[in-house]
Amino acid sequence: MSLDLDRIAPQVEKMTEHIDAEDASRQKHLAKAMSILCDNSLNLDDLKNKIESGKISWMPAEPVESLSNKYTTEKPPANFTILATDGSQIDIDRHHSTRYYLINIGSIYLEYGESADARLESTPQLYFDKKDLVMTSPDGSNREVAIEGTLLGIKRDIEEFKYLTRMAASLKADIPALLLADGTLIRWTLMSKDIPEFIVSEFLEKGFLKCLDEIKEISEKKSIALASYISYPRSSDLVGTIRIAICPYNPVNCDKCRRENPNGAYPCNTVDGVQDKDLFLTLLESGERSALFISRSSIQERYGMHRIYFYYVKIDDEIARIEIPEWIARNDTLLNLTHTLILDQCQRGHGYPVALSEAHEQAVVTAADRQNLQTLVEAFLSEKNIDINTSAKSFSKRTRWI
Amino acid sequence: MDNYQASNEIILKECAVNTEEIVRIGEVIESATSHFTAQCYELDSFPPLGALVKTQNSNRQIYGIVFNATTEGIDPGRKPLARGKDASSEKTLYEANPQIAKLLKSQFEALVVGYKEDDRVFHYLPPQPAPIHSFAYLCPAQDVTEFSRSFEFLNTILNSSVSLPHEELIAATLRRMSIVQEDKHAFLITAGKHLATTLSGDFKRLRTILERIRE
Repeated sequence: MSLDLDRIAPQVEKMTEHIDAEDASRQKHLAKAMSILCDNSLNLDDLKNKIESGKISWMPAEPVESLSNKYTTEKPPANFTILATDGSQIDIDRHHSTRYYLINIGSIYLEYGESADARLESTPQLYFDKKDLVMTSPDGSNREVAIEGTLLGIKRDIEEFKYLTRMAASLKADIPALLLADGTLIRWTLMSKDIPEFIVSEFLEKGFLKCLDEIKEISEKKSIALASYISYPRSSDLVGTIRIAICPYNPVNCDKCRRENPNGAYPCNTVDGVQDKDLFLTLLESGERSALFISRSSIQERYGMHRIYFYYVKIDDEIARIEIPEWIARNDTLLNLTHTLILDQCQRGHGYPVALSEAHEQAVVTAADRQNLQTLVEAFLSEKNIDINTSAKSFSKRTRWI
Repeated sequence: MDNYQASNEIILKECAVNTEEIVRIGEVIESATSHFTAQCYELDSFPPLGALVKTQNSNRQIYGIVFNATTEGIDPGRKPLARGKDASSEKTLYEANPQIAKLLKSQFEALVVGYKEDDRVFHYLPPQPAPIHSFAYLCPAQDVTEFSRSFEFLNTILNSSVSLPHEELIAATLRRMSIVQEDKHAFLITAGKHLATTLSGDFKRLRTILERIRE
């Protein structure tokens, strides 16, 4: 059955009224947040201490410099290279007797300047071996965890990053380059209580952070920057910092505040509903970037020298969040290269980096692709006279009948 | 290779019709008994309209006449958009967007007009279509002269359902074939006479063709 739009229309009308009413109070809250952001009398060290010492129930950004600092960028170099990867997956079909999953990596090499060139590739990899389908605890307990669902998503992220690292190794030394990843570099999904430590360590230390080690090593010999691009970010890390600046308690103690204000009227409510992007849409001019901030996600404790910094950049009427490892943030040349080249990519790509957009196009797996893969698998199985068992539920979904 | 180098290549390949060089121009990606579509190896490096092309497999060569050429997105869901408003030239546009050339494909369609087997040329349809991925070549002068000894291919064009007006295609074919003839004028006169017989009841069409092959 198709969706009954007649019955949804009145609900959409109500939702619109709700958004309209919220917008008025959000504007007031935004004005308050902006006044703190641009308050030159704000002492950065005091603020940092307040963040460090507080018992805070959200995750504020750690300031690195004056919160309202902003930077323009220079023209891109005459010759440069952009590398990007993206991925998609076909998860294990639990209604099918054959267990396999697929990760498809889209990779893009774009060279600009005198020898302009492009390489657009997709690399599909089928995983079917037991060692790929389950991860076994090395502690002798034989605990097995299946790689599917969220874990497969994490594995795909790591595989995208490994691919990007391999591409970086083959870059020319004399041309500046930017490695561009899609989404966050902060692997906070690994903090889930459902994910055992041996898996976190496998994906993080032996996977992602090892890649960062390699990229850093390459970057020391060649002019290579690394950044990830988050479009339309919904984060409010900096708004969290502003809440702390507003908070009359020192040290900040959210539990105590809740006890003392049982009616829910907390002092920091004055910035409710504001997101970081709202602040920078107001503060920045198109093409400018914000100050640097450090994410205080607890997974960062394991990042060591690769601790993730971020900044926001305004591209026309949109804000993007750019994440970079600490060694890029502390190297002005590479930091500026991320800003310059991301902006250039967005200008070439109607507001979104060309390389990421093309990497997505290379990686995407459609519903028809899924069906074709299944047909291919079944064709090979029947050639070998192997039984193909699917569940009745799967059959019912694939064969629509009356 | 950018588009401009590719354009130069086309000119070189066009010249090949006057030489004995066999130039490989693409690969069959759709095949039917009456026509085939070949993808060009380089963007926009099509054989000219009306050119005689061939596929070559084991002991059979299939001849076709180019009746259509297109350049479009590899992914049918992605349409090219104008990008060059601020570009100083088309060359700079391609340099500023190096991915474009990799996202487009050029292909041409050829109407099957005959084949060659055991050194004999037949001016009617082959028993089987060209296999997919057969290489497509621009016919060298020798092939063109040999094939154009008979004008039966004109009937094949007239009876075909190609999207291009038949008069345009016939005129383009004859113009191209005439280039390699020893006596170009005599060739066109003979072709005109053949058409006059075939189109005796349709003077308007005949005139349209003759207007287009007049030297």
